[in-house]
Amino acid sequence: MTGRDFSEHDIHMALDGELPAEERAAYEAWLELNPEMKARSQRYAADRDALRQAVAHVADEPVPARLTRMVLGEMPKRQAGLRSRWWLAAAAAVLFMVGGAGGYLAGARGTGLEAPEDQLAEEAIAAHVIYAAEQRHAVEVPASDKDHMQSWLSKRVGIKLVAPDLATDGFELVGGRLLPAGANSAAMLLYEDQKGNRISVFVTAEAVKKSRGSYAQSDDGPRAVYWLDEGYGCAIVGSLPRERLNEVAKSAYRQLLAGMTT
Amino acid sequence: MEAKKAAILNEIPRLRRYARSLLRDRDAADDLVQDCLERALLRLDNWQTGETPRKWLFTIMHHLFIDGLRRTSRRGEAAMLPLDAGEVSSVPAEQAENMASREIIDALQAIGPDRRAALVMVAIEGFSYAEAATILGVPAGTLMSRIARGREDLRALLEGSARRRAIRIVEK
Repeated sequence: MTGRDFSEHDIHMALDGELPAEERAAYEAWLELNPEMKARSQRYAADRDALRQAVAHVADEPVPARLTRMVLGEMPKRQAGLRSRWWLAAAAAVLFMVGGAGGYLAGARGTGLEAPEDQLAEEAIAAHVIYAAEQRHAVEVPASDKDHMQSWLSKRVGIKLVAPDLATDGFELVGGRLLPAGANSAAMLLYEDQKGNRISVFVTAEAVKKSRGSYAQSDDGPRAVYWLDEGYGCAIVGSLPRERLNEVAKSAYRQLLAGMTT
Repeated sequence: MEAKKAAILNEIPRLRRYARSLLRDRDAADDLVQDCLERALLRLDNWQTGETPRKWLFTIMHHLFIDGLRRTSRRGEAAMLPLDAGEVSSVPAEQAENMASREIIDALQAIGPDRRAALVMVAIEGFSYAEAATILGVPAGTLMSRIARGREDLRALLEGSARRRAIRIVEK
């Protein structure tokens, strides 16, 4: 079977060895007729080779003794506190990418490939993933110092920030912190309910177009509900059921807006 | 029993490579492999003999990976851990990695975990779409869209960092 229309979809299939052999020749001919698709296919192929190359040495490394001993049953039972710190490193890597020296997500700004609301939501989610899990260092300024926190964050972020009162939704203010957001600063306000669920309110003064919606990086990760307008962007992030998060987010947004204009 | 263990030992180098693609940091990746092996040994009966334990082990590791990431968004767990996030993030880069390798692995860490796992499973580990979809527990269509989005994300990140490097050179 030949003569069917190919698309970008087939570039991935071909790269991953999933294109049926009998379609291969027609696909190659299609690439020749579509220089843009051919260039894309070559870039993806180069990325794949670079990825393979980057981790190829790992399979040749000597296996750490602790892993061999685990399989042979020579390993003492590990204490609960010692195991599984790997996921914390994973979370830290996200922060490193967003705010730190790597700045990859920040760097993806302006490539035109990522919508500004996705960037805001991703930054807000990354901050939430890191800080909402922190017990002792979740915030820089605690709620007990709310007046100072509000004036400090307002000055740094560049908009008048009044911490929403979410008590009717069952959430109390834990405190706030200052974060990088692209070239600017963002304020993060952390709230907690009686069961220990945490949500964060992420506010920046950087936004150019009007937009609203919600965003999640994965089905089971935290979700961000965001609003952008000229001069500000805010996202409310949490792992609450969708309906409940929307409700709390609306309440927080209404109050933030009211606070900005008084 | 001993044959099963030998077959599992054989898979460790691949499990370590997969974990390193997902997590970058060597110790963290080996911790994930260790958790995976520990769970596998408790459930040896679940592995159908007669086939290689590869898919079975990758499935266990993927569940641990996703569960672990979910844990980061829940409160309180971090308090049990001996390290603060700040300390972990300062883990020095591996010397064996050259600059280009580091750049692409860094970029890989910045794409969403679902897309990252799908892309690595197929593009690095060489699983077929059908195998990867089974391991990740998603329909084939979902797997394919994750791979496509993952490749686009990775490309955008690499182009972004190349542009910043060019700007830095111009500024000098």
